[in-house]
Amino acid sequence: MSLHDIIFWILSLWAIVCAIFVVISRNPVNSVLFLIATFFAISGHYILMNAQFLAIVNIIVYAGAIMVLFLFVIMLMNLNTDTEPQKSRLVHFAALISAGSLLLVVLSAFRKAELTQIPVTDAGDIGLIKVLGKTLFDHYVLPFELSSVLFLAAMVGAMVIGRKEVVEEKSTK
Amino acid sequence: MCNFLWLASTEGIGSYAPVLIQLLIAGAVVSLLMLLTHILGPKRKTKDKLINFESGIEQIGNARKPMGVKYFIVAILFVLFDVEVIFFYPYAVNFRELGTEGFLAVLMFVALFVCGFVYVIKKGALKWED
Amino acid sequence: MKPLIATAVFAILMMFAALTVKEKKSFTHFAAILMLGLVGLNVWELADYNRLLASAQASPDLFGKMLRVDNYALWFNVLMSSCSFFYILLVGRSIEKVGVHVGEYYALHFFILCGVFLLSTYNNLLILFLGIEILSIPQYILSGSDKRNLKSSEASLKYFLMGAFSTGILLMGIVLLYGAMGTFDIHGFNFYATGTLNIMGVVGVLFMLVALGFKVSAAPMHFWTPDVYDGSPTPFTAFMATIVKVSVFFAFMRLFMEGFANLDPYWKVTVLGTITVLTLLIGNITAVYQQSVKRMLAYSSIAQAGFMMFVVIGSNAMAMKGMIIYAVAYTLATVGIFGVLLKLKDYTYDGFNGLAKKHPFLALIASICLMSLAGIPLTAGFFAKWFVIAAALEQPGTFWLVIFALVMAAVSLYYYFKVIMAMYFKTGEPELITPVTTMDKVVMAIIGSAVIVFGIAPDMLLAWI
Repeated sequence: MSLHDIIFWILSLWAIVCAIFVVISRNPVNSVLFLIATFFAISGHYILMNAQFLAIVNIIVYAGAIMVLFLFVIMLMNLNTDTEPQKSRLVHFAALISAGSLLLVVLSAFRKAELTQIPVTDAGDIGLIKVLGKTLFDHYVLPFELSSVLFLAAMVGAMVIGRKEVVEEKSTK
Repeated sequence: MCNFLWLASTEGIGSYAPVLIQLLIAGAVVSLLMLLTHILGPKRKTKDKLINFESGIEQIGNARKPMGVKYFIVAILFVLFDVEVIFFYPYAVNFRELGTEGFLAVLMFVALFVCGFVYVIKKGALKWED
Repeated sequence: MKPLIATAVFAILMMFAALTVKEKKSFTHFAAILMLGLVGLNVWELADYNRLLASAQASPDLFGKMLRVDNYALWFNVLMSSCSFFYILLVGRSIEKVGVHVGEYYALHFFILCGVFLLSTYNNLLILFLGIEILSIPQYILSGSDKRNLKSSEASLKYFLMGAFSTGILLMGIVLLYGAMGTFDIHGFNFYATGTLNIMGVVGVLFMLVALGFKVSAAPMHFWTPDVYDGSPTPFTAFMATIVKVSVFFAFMRLFMEGFANLDPYWKVTVLGTITVLTLLIGNITAVYQQSVKRMLAYSSIAQAGFMMFVVIGSNAMAMKGMIIYAVAYTLATVGIFGVLLKLKDYTYDGFNGLAKKHPFLALIASICLMSLAGIPLTAGFFAKWFVIAAALEQPGTFWLVIFALVMAAVSLYYYFKVIMAMYFKTGEPELITPVTTMDKVVMAIIGSAVIVFGIAPDMLLAWI
């Protein structure tokens, strides 16, 4: 085992265990904290793949910004009491069976999958900021522009959902 | 095994050793300091001292109170503009090489965001009192 | 790509109109004018492309193979923008009543159309993903825009959570396909590159099937549909159930026809056939038991999705024709019936009682639209079903599927005619919430006559293919 292998297994174990705890922990705030830990593990994976920019962005955007939003939402919901609706045993059972069969299908498919055909030519530095920038603003310039349209739509959406309907209140008064 | 997963060269990971050392030292210093204050500091546990500090005012309820939706709007807008800024890093590194075409692409991207920004400001989303 | 840019620009114009304009009515006028401009731009784009094609200058690939345009996709865009234009004319008055952010609602509609145009011309899975997102996010907002109504909020939250989950599945599928094929280009997929079937690619296809099936509300991924369509403000339901759904189907068909062309057809027929059977069965049978016409139309849209699945199963030249005809027939008829529904106060079947006596024109248009949805000859719906079934029959092993679909079409007659019976043979005092204006009458007459004209001469819709 090389240093790479050791770090890979540590990070994978870390990511998987934390991801499981996100699902099973009772306290939603703990879930968010475990999710942040998972993001750090994934950032570690990015660094292993020499994608430093993605690693940093993952921490800044996900662990930094989006998780704060998550905490906000959890705080908004009044979770003082254990209000989580209890699903029946049957639903649990059905969910277990369907998720289990999905896992089986995906696992058995991946065991047979041939991964040799991934083009790995000079992909070693694709995650570096310079190479990424060149690809992004050259070949992927349309998706880049479209993402701004998407953000704009989200911005309008946030206004529609979040703003008080002031005019209406005045007219009803 | 699992060689398909990393495309980086093996010596790449070794170059992160300084970062790792720095992280370890930072972590060690913080935990050491916390441990020391815990051990060395005097402790007087009374009921009043153990409650959460709320600017000296007596505690009302707990922290789990529904709060104004304005916080969320600010948070959502923050995330959106945060992601926008992220896109500038790869552009800044390649500023010269991308030339006019790249500049126009980024200009269009920023123009759309400025439209959104003006809209948000005019709509009064960042006004705290209304 | 003039129309694509125009949608973003028009959406921004609507946003700024929302800041400056106070009068609610002027939003609808402004949006209608912009939409007409969008139709014009689409027609221009189509003509321009053909002019270039004649001089052998036209290139199907745009933006480094991110988009691929052809007559077919451009014609679909023309039709969808025209349908959106009639939609705004017909339901604009009701959109004004949903809430205060009328300008924003229209802006979101333009954003959705941006997604529609992307889905009709994408050539890259990344664009497919962005298209679906640009199409979905405004929908989550629109379905929750009636903030005083708890059902609307529930619809929005439900749609958002499940939609986000299905987007995750879509991304997973894209990732697996990229891992298996080494490309995002849908024309670059080869499932037998190494001689044997690429299993990882097939798992990717399955994930994409589930995600797209969710977006078009195919069973068993349909659970969100009735609640969301029922809870959303009615004018927006009309948009979500028609133009959006049809566009996702267009993308669905293109993915399977062009991207997954060299997959084993037997596999396609079995998996897609199962989904089709379930969709037809659940949609039609559950629609029978509904009390509210709006909810019945939600289930009917599931049932119609079952028929549109035939287009994906067929994935051939006939299916391309069927897609266009079905898209127009279904969109026009559903927008028409929603237009009538919006005038009524009571959305249950009883609300339709005696409509023919009091408002014969509304009843007539509703009957034409419902008959088209049921697939009665001399309406557009008949040829729509005819073409998609013919497309499916070209695939081997679909005979039993078609028989089953015909039985289900017979079932659908029951709930569509229940409304017509209520209008013509029952007595009651149907209450209107808004008076029927001349404008409404003109648009309804156009929709009604279009349904009949396309039912007699469906080839008119195929002129550009």
